[in-house]
Amino acid sequence: MTFAAAYEDPPRVWGVGRVVVGDEIVPWPVSKADIDDETEVAATFLRELGLGADELVLIVSYLSQAIHVAPLERAAGVVGALYSSADASRFDAFRTASLVRQLKPTVVIGIDDAVLAGFDDLDRDPAEVFAPVRAVVASGAGAQARLAAAGVVAGTWIRLGALNAVAYPGEDQLRYDATRWQVDEADGELLVTNLADRLTPSDRFRTGVQGRVPTPGRIAL
Amino acid sequence: MSLDPARRYFSPEIEQMSRADIDSQRDEKLLGDLIPWAYKRSGLIRETWDAAGVSPADVTSMNDFHEKVPFIDKDAIRSYRDRHDDPYGGLLCLDPADPTMKGIFSAIFSTSGTTGDPTPAPFAGRGPSMLVREFWELGARPGDHFLHCLFTFRGPSIHDTIRGIGATPVFVDHQPSDIEQLLRFSRDFRPTGWYTLSGPLIMMIEETATRLGIDLQDAFSSYRGVVFAGEPIGPRARARVEGWGLELFIQTSLGDVGAATECREHDGCHMWEDTAYIESLDPEGTTPVGDGIRGELVSTTLIDKVAPLLRYRSDDLVRVTREVCACGRTHGRVHTLGRKGDEIIVVGVSVLPGDVWGAVESIDETNGLFQMIRPSREVDTLRLRVGYATEGPGGLPALRVRIEDAVEESVGIRPEIDLVEREVLLRQGPPHKIPRVTRA
Repeated sequence: MTFAAAYEDPPRVWGVGRVVVGDEIVPWPVSKADIDDETEVAATFLRELGLGADELVLIVSYLSQAIHVAPLERAAGVVGALYSSADASRFDAFRTASLVRQLKPTVVIGIDDAVLAGFDDLDRDPAEVFAPVRAVVASGAGAQARLAAAGVVAGTWIRLGALNAVAYPGEDQLRYDATRWQVDEADGELLVTNLADRLTPSDRFRTGVQGRVPTPGRIAL
Repeated sequence: MSLDPARRYFSPEIEQMSRADIDSQRDEKLLGDLIPWAYKRSGLIRETWDAAGVSPADVTSMNDFHEKVPFIDKDAIRSYRDRHDDPYGGLLCLDPADPTMKGIFSAIFSTSGTTGDPTPAPFAGRGPSMLVREFWELGARPGDHFLHCLFTFRGPSIHDTIRGIGATPVFVDHQPSDIEQLLRFSRDFRPTGWYTLSGPLIMMIEETATRLGIDLQDAFSSYRGVVFAGEPIGPRARARVEGWGLELFIQTSLGDVGAATECREHDGCHMWEDTAYIESLDPEGTTPVGDGIRGELVSTTLIDKVAPLLRYRSDDLVRVTREVCACGRTHGRVHTLGRKGDEIIVVGVSVLPGDVWGAVESIDETNGLFQMIRPSREVDTLRLRVGYATEGPGGLPALRVRIEDAVEESVGIRPEIDLVEREVLLRQGPPHKIPRVTRA
C-alpha cells in the first residue's frame, strides 16, 4: 500500500550511512542496488538462524546503522517473515524486553552492551528475557560474552566496513558472503574489498577489527 | 510524477481540494469501505459495536456515524489485548500468514512507550507516506540531502518518504551520543530538510557546539526547514533554535492515525483530511465543539486497513479549525493544547504542563526540564519536579525561589518545587521527550 505518490526519479544514492573504524566514523553512501544485493545475503543468515515464514525477527540497532540493517529488514520479507525494531540503547532496553514478551520473536539480532546495561537497570535477567527466543545474536563479541556469562548461548553480528558478518549461536567463526566480498588480513587487522559492484568501493578497506580468515567466507576474531 | 522544484505544493490536487470534495471522499472511504472492512476483521471494533448494538448497516451517513458509532480509547485496546492475549489489541485486520499479504504486511513497529508498555503497531506500508507534502513544504527538493534523525522503532517510512521527494536521507541517531556526527554531517552534506528535532536534542546540540567551539549558524546554514516533534517547545528553546537560523515546523500526533505538521504560515498543524477524519468533541461528553474551540481530538483513519482506528478518543486537548489556511491549503488545522489526562485542578484552577512550560524554561539552569506531580486530578498544591544543569547564583535555595516566582507569575499559583539533577529526568524518557506528568 503506497500512501503517496513518489518522485519518479529516485536519487542514485539510497542513503548516506556510515562505517565505524575504531573511533573514526566514515560516511558511506549506498545505492538501492547495494541494499537489494545485501538483502540476499541477509536472507541466508536469517534462514540459517532458524527464522521461518510467518515468524518474526526483532532487530535491535541504531538508525545510523541503516546501511547494515536495511538488508536484514528486507530479508525478513524475503523469508516470508515480519520484523520489528528497537533501539540498541540503554534506555530502549525496556522496548526489547517488552517486544520479546509481546511479539514472541523467533530471532533477536543486535543485543549490545548498552542493551544489556539497560537490562541491569531494569533488573532483568537476559536468560529470562530471551528464554522464548530460538536464536539470539549479539552485536559485538563483548555483548556475546556477557550473554554467555548470563547463560544465553548467542551468536555474534559485526559490521565489518560495509559488510555484515554473523556467527550463529554456538559457532566461533563469523560468516560472510565470499562471492561478494573478499576479506584479507594485514598485521592482524581485517581488510575488506568488494567483489560485487558497490556505489562506494572498498579496496582493502581497513576495518580496525582484529581477526583472521581461516578460509574464504569465515572469520575468526 | 514529474516535479518542478518551483511548484508550491507537492500534491496540489489534494492539498487544495475543495471542502465538498474532502467531505465526499471521506464519506466514500469511511462509509463505503473502512467501516465494513473493520467491523468484519477487527475483533475490538466488532466487540465494541456489538456491545453498542450497532452494525455497519446502521451507519449510512455521517449523521449516523456521529450518533451511533461507539468510541474506543487506549484503555479499550489494552483491555482487549490483556483479555485475548492479542498484542495488537484486537485491531489487526490482516492475517500475517495470508499469502496475498506477503511483502505488504512487513513489520511491526511500536509507540514510544513514554507512559507505559510500547504498543505494537502493525505496518503494511510500502513507499513514501503523506509526509512528502510536509517535506516539500520545508523546502527540500529533488537532489538535496535530508537529515533523517530518528529512532529505529518508527520504521522505514520516513526514509522512503525522503526518497519520495527525490532527496537522499543522511542517517543520524536521535541520541546525545550522535550530536557530533549530526553537526559534522550538517556541514559536510549541506542537507536542506531535517526530521526531527526535539527539546532534549536542542539542549545537547547547544552543549556540544559550545564544547567544540562550533558556530551553529554556520553549521545549520543549509537547512530550509526542520520538523520539531515529540513534545511541545517552549518560547525560550524556540528562540534559541531560531537564533541558529533554523525555521521550525511543529509536528503533532493526530490521535495515533497519523501526524499533523505546520506549514510556512505556522498557524496550526495541517491534518490531512484525505487520510483521517478528525472530530473535536466536548472532553467530558460526546457533543462537538465549535471551530477553534477547545475540545478532545477524536480520530478515525481513512486509509489504514491494517489496524484501523474508528472514533478513537485520543485524550489530546486541541483546537481544530477548518478555515482555509493562508498558505492556500484547504485541509483543517489542529493546535495541540495538552492531554486531558495531564490536567491538574489546583484549588479549582486548571493547569496543564504547557501552562508552566515557559515559566520553568525561563530559568536558564533548568533547560525547561520539569514534571508535574499528579497524584490525582484535583489537588491542593501544584508540585513540580524540576531538573537543573547548574545551581546558578545563590545555590539551590535561590534557584528554587526563582522558579517559584516565575511559575506563580505565569499561572497565579505558587508551586512547591522539588529540584533534581537533570539527568534524573532525562533518564525517564526516550531521547526525544520525558514524561511531563507523573503520579509521584
